[in-house]
Amino acid sequence: MTLQACLLLAFLLFAIGVYGILTRRNAIGILISMELMLNAANINFIAFAHFRALDATAGAVFSLFIIAVTACEMAIALAIAIAVYRRHGHLDVDELTELRDPDV
Amino acid sequence: MESLPLKDILFYLVAVVMVATALLTVVVKNILHSAVTLSATFFCTAVLYFLLSAEFLGVAQVMVYIGGVIVFVVFTILLTSRLGEYALEAGKLRKIAAAFFSMIIAVLAVVILRESHSSVALEQSDYATLAVIGKRLLSPGDDGFILPFEAISLLLLISLIGAVSIARVPRDDKNKEAE
Repeated sequence: MTLQACLLLAFLLFAIGVYGILTRRNAIGILISMELMLNAANINFIAFAHFRALDATAGAVFSLFIIAVTACEMAIALAIAIAVYRRHGHLDVDELTELRDPDV
Repeated sequence: MESLPLKDILFYLVAVVMVATALLTVVVKNILHSAVTLSATFFCTAVLYFLLSAEFLGVAQVMVYIGGVIVFVVFTILLTSRLGEYALEAGKLRKIAAAFFSMIIAVLAVVILRESHSSVALEQSDYATLAVIGKRLLSPGDDGFILPFEAISLLLLISLIGAVSIARVPRDDKNKEAE
């Protein structure tokens, strides 16, 4: 177990998350993929804290904050998903084009 | 250092399972299955945190993500989609393009990590115990995090109120539904 191995794992997870965000059409699916990417970032933080950092506790605390902010963000995002579903009857992001510039 | 091989084996095992479940999460058609495999990914991440000797984060990961976020996601899925009734799927072209793009990221990662030289690793082990994190989190001194801690508690409160007010049915709509 080396720093490189951990970072490679995090990068792979991030790439998988990117694939999910680009291919999912359900809004909740996009949120789930985003969680994967945030998780990858968190793994990076902990890996650097474990292997490299001068002040490792700060790194751990930082990723604790990331976890908290992610929880907040998920709460808001899922509330928005429920509101969108109530209004449109579906969560297909390809159909949600109200804010798009019609000329483009 | 004697226990390193076991740790290595465990790490690679966890890494393989994590990547596999993450892949399943983005590939699986049913969004509910996707949420379940995501919880497996989070559990593997918690194990990885334990391997990196960040015990408190591993516990927090299980509690917040698996106990909170995943449950929340599952509830939202149950509320918003008639299960299996419609499957939204991206076109083949988009899938290929997305796979190409994420492949670029993965290849870049491999290239960059091969270029980087690693110096001697520190391998700290007691940086994220409950006592250490608790002291740092709540100490008001220069190296403490009391201010961000309080700010995040405020943020949690605000976002919960916001979530409730976004998701609730507005009053005039409620009257309309009753009629």
